[in-house]
Amino acid sequence: MAELALAWKALASSWAVPAAFLGVAWGIVGGALPGISPSIAMALLLPFTYGMDPVAAIVILAAVYVGAEYGGSIPAILIRTPGTNAAAATVIDGFEMHRQGRGGEALGISLVSGLVGGLFGLAVLVLATGPLARFALAFTPPAYFALGVLGLSVIAGLSGRSLLKGLIAGILGFMIATIGTDPVSGVARFTFGSADLLGGIRPIVVMVGLFAVTELMVQVIEPAWARAEAHAARLKLPDWATWKRIARPQAIGAAIGTFEGVTPGAGGTIAAFLSYNEARRWSKHPEEFGQGSVEGVAAPECANNVVTGAALVPLLGLGIPGSNSAAILLGGFLLHGLAPGPMLFEKSPEVVYGLYAGLLVANFAMLALGLVILTPCLWLVNRPKPYLMAFVLALVVSGIYALQASFFDVGLVLGAGVLGYALRFFGIPQLPLVLGVVLGFLVESNYRRALVLSSGDHSVFVQDPISLGLLVAAAAIAAFSLRRELGLARQERAASP
Amino acid sequence: MGRDPVCAALGLALAVAYYTAADALPRSLLADGVGADGVPKLLAAVLAVLSIALGARSLLVGASATAADDPGLRRHLRALGVAVLGAAFVGVAPVLGYPLALGLLVLAATLYYGAAPRPQVVIYAAGTAAILWLIFARGLGVALPAGLFG
Repeated sequence: MAELALAWKALASSWAVPAAFLGVAWGIVGGALPGISPSIAMALLLPFTYGMDPVAAIVILAAVYVGAEYGGSIPAILIRTPGTNAAAATVIDGFEMHRQGRGGEALGISLVSGLVGGLFGLAVLVLATGPLARFALAFTPPAYFALGVLGLSVIAGLSGRSLLKGLIAGILGFMIATIGTDPVSGVARFTFGSADLLGGIRPIVVMVGLFAVTELMVQVIEPAWARAEAHAARLKLPDWATWKRIARPQAIGAAIGTFEGVTPGAGGTIAAFLSYNEARRWSKHPEEFGQGSVEGVAAPECANNVVTGAALVPLLGLGIPGSNSAAILLGGFLLHGLAPGPMLFEKSPEVVYGLYAGLLVANFAMLALGLVILTPCLWLVNRPKPYLMAFVLALVVSGIYALQASFFDVGLVLGAGVLGYALRFFGIPQLPLVLGVVLGFLVESNYRRALVLSSGDHSVFVQDPISLGLLVAAAAIAAFSLRRELGLARQERAASP
Repeated sequence: MGRDPVCAALGLALAVAYYTAADALPRSLLADGVGADGVPKLLAAVLAVLSIALGARSLLVGASATAADDPGLRRHLRALGVAVLGAAFVGVAPVLGYPLALGLLVLAATLYYGAAPRPQVVIYAAGTAAILWLIFARGLGVALPAGLFG
């Protein structure tokens, strides 16, 4: 009851409700533009939240995530170009429905399935995060160190096809985190005499560079995307018969989306494709899949919206971001001096419960805005790409400058963009680097603090039961990933002539 | 040659440079047993081991990404051009002022992304700069450099 009161108070006393609507609107528009992923849409908005009330700031960022997952299905259905990675599975039957003159019906199913998925994901978030955070309240410095190690072990799951490259990215991120003043002795490290680097490199600068600037660099060598025909898109909400047909694929999407959402590194794309596959397996009309099946749209759209809530469980409960979008949301917390994790529930409960309430508003805002925003979205999708990209570049440099009125930060964000481009060139995943940047300070400072408290005795990390448990879990994740890596290497060797 | 051996060589070079820089850090009287250089040296060692492992794997298994799927040097340079445009903005904004420098950035970027050089592009650049100046300077109260107009 106290939590409900906090949520209501947070909503009533801040700009959270308008923020939810604004965030969803920006998310739908951003998601509808090919090349602007949910994380990029969030990253572009991040600097604008600097001067905002913390509750409204976090709600607007989370609402962008909600809106972008629906927005990504608009070009997927209308021009066979997924606006987000997670909408790729929607292309299969969504575009086929559009070709059959049922594009409006596909958009309607996408919208309501997104609402169902979003609300389910929110329920998972509310029910799972509190107990996780209460358990984490018993953490000591050794346990916090072990938690950081557990977070870094997640890199194994985020490494794509190469664990080695994922680990290299994580180390690079950790190296970036060591720049600045040493947390114990106060010595300036790797600043090369620059006063601008004494405070370290902010994670937000690295994130915006890696996600937004890198994408701007990639887009300049990519061809223009197709045009959407505005007259073909009149949104049609599903009738009762359709609701009955899409209930089962929505349930499948909800179950798979929950599992994939709370698993760091899995995310909406995998959830969408797995849900599509399982919906076809359990369907009474599997032959319709690929031919314009309503179930083939409902399952992936429900799954990727469940992920928007479920992916925040490890972030809010433990402070570990498991996806690009969660990492950007973490950047939003850090920007306002808030550290996600167990202490957030103690120190700033109004932010947590305000976020829950804001997400509820955001999901209904998606339904309301989804009905009216289609035409402006199509107009934007049909604008020439050079104008859009130039606007995004101007927004990035202006937003980053505004954080500290520093051109040095703008230079850093461009440098991070070049680094991100190089990482893509070498096939090195970006998210482990972000994890390294975010968790590096937590790991090093708590490692050294624990050793100071134990007079340099390393056994403190195995004497603390929580620390021991977390280290064992981290080792298990690492061992599982190593086994998978070795299996993949064996397969590659067997396949090579 | 594939990309992985190059990546491994760069990683090794970075590990050596980072270790050298960590070793040169001054010792503080307030330092703990680990020291300011302890964790960085460990990171450098791990990066070196991972880089050697990547290089060895690429030699044993074969490169996963080769020059065949490389978009070409010209395209990479074109992509880098976006960062150069941003860097030029950083260089001229304190002198010309934010609105003018941003207008020039939008103009240059629109043309760089392939728009035809038409009067509309100039109008778009000026309009975008004006809108963003209004949002940041007037709306958010950010102190933007006035440059020539200061």
